[in-house]
Amino acid sequence: MATKALTLHNVDAYYGDSHVLQKVSFELGEARMLGLLGRNGAGKSTCMNVSVGLLSPRGGSIELFGEPVTTLPPEMISARGVALVPQGRRIFKSLTVRENLIVAAQKPRDNKHAPWTTETVFSMFPRLSERKHQMAAHLSGGEQQMLAIGRALMGNPRVLLMDEPSEGLAPQIVAEVMATIRKLKESGLSIVLVEQSPKLVFDIADDIVILNSGRIAVTESAAKLRDGSTDLAQHLGVF
Amino acid sequence: MTLWLTLAVNSIALGGLLFLLSAGFSLIFGLMRIPNLMHGSFFMLGAYFGVTLLDNRIGMNFWAAALVSALAMAVIGGLVERFLLRRLNGQELPQVLLTLGLSFIIADVCLMIWTGDPWQPPTPDHLRGVLQVAGVYFPYFRLVIVLVAVVIAVALWLMVDWTRLGAMIRAGVDDAPIARVVGIKVSQLFTLVFALGAALAAFGGVIGAPYLSVYPGLDAEMLPLALIVVILGGTGSLLGALVGSFLIGFLYNFGQAMFPDLAYVILFLPMLLVLVLRPQGLFGRVMT
Repeated sequence: MATKALTLHNVDAYYGDSHVLQKVSFELGEARMLGLLGRNGAGKSTCMNVSVGLLSPRGGSIELFGEPVTTLPPEMISARGVALVPQGRRIFKSLTVRENLIVAAQKPRDNKHAPWTTETVFSMFPRLSERKHQMAAHLSGGEQQMLAIGRALMGNPRVLLMDEPSEGLAPQIVAEVMATIRKLKESGLSIVLVEQSPKLVFDIADDIVILNSGRIAVTESAAKLRDGSTDLAQHLGVF
Repeated sequence: MTLWLTLAVNSIALGGLLFLLSAGFSLIFGLMRIPNLMHGSFFMLGAYFGVTLLDNRIGMNFWAAALVSALAMAVIGGLVERFLLRRLNGQELPQVLLTLGLSFIIADVCLMIWTGDPWQPPTPDHLRGVLQVAGVYFPYFRLVIVLVAVVIAVALWLMVDWTRLGAMIRAGVDDAPIARVVGIKVSQLFTLVFALGAALAAFGGVIGAPYLSVYPGLDAEMLPLALIVVILGGTGSLLGALVGSFLIGFLYNFGQAMFPDLAYVILFLPMLLVLVLRPQGLFGRVMT
């Protein structure tokens, strides 16, 4: 049986009284990419938030490589190798580009891959290197997204969660970001890619999970969905 | 002429002490957004610890006493943050009430232990004497206070602006939840900043004691000065705290010497102007 990198099992989560995740379960296999789709408000970001410890689930469990992390605070989940590229990028605006990276640096947990350092991040994103001493607030949207990805990689994660990395970017930049994500996948990282648009996800992800109003609507391999025989419009809206 | 110079030297020395007091206040208020109304109490309690250690019965070395007192206050500050303020995260009014209440308690405890009489330790032997330049005398001790303040200012600036630790603190202030998600132990860092602020205030209290002396009400006298300094200089800005401290040092001494009736007007008027014309302070960042 393949190793499960991240498992959500019957997770229930609330914002105040509103029940935003209802018995959500999915599994991310090691070195695989899971595309998490759904409309606005379907609960995609909430799945990310419970996975990194920003929101405590009221029910269910979350496991990382078979170890429970359900009740751990964010910094301890991070220490176990989960990194997030948050929705809206949320880079540290009053820090320089380089500082954004070094504050997130963590030692690698295994020797399988060459560790991420500021040098390797800069060679992946040369444009960040040119701006390393600038304040992050002065970066363009695309550069901020690259910085958010670079910052997540500095933690040398085993699992990378990306919450709508294409949001608000020009098509050309989106293509660049997707190419980067493809490279990361090929390097053997286990990735959850959250998007609203299935186009971006279908040909890059291995597995697809579709959320609808806080429940799992579809769990299927991407290959099966690609042929278009499954009717997804009801879950995703017009696309 | 000599009067002016004497006033100027006193102003600079007071400025140095004010910096030690307000640097921590500025970091705590600017970075952690905690309006710490017990900061004057840290100064006074630290000074009382110091004079006790300096007293003949113990007779500790002056600098050792200042360091021990700073250390003790770091522990007290750390405990207050960890166990009390932490529970009131983001709630300004309860934070104001808690720190104000604690400052009253500390004031009463100090009155019980150290009585209402002022304590003024002698200037340490090795720092007595004067430096004579062009016929004007500068007391060594006051010059040393300034020197210490400048050294600490540079050290703090290096730490906050040029180290990974400083960047982590700033990241925690920028976006605490995401800072935690990238693995920064924000909660420990904030305790550290609070403890550091308390220690600096205590350190300032001890080295200021031979000059200001220690007496009941010193806390209530220092707190508004720290507030004015930080409002003038801009919250969270160390450069602002440094410039603001020397500005207030001068206004305080010259105001009291030249217009004693208007001393407080002279002190608070610039603060008022800054609040109206440049609310973020001279060197403050605009809060978002």
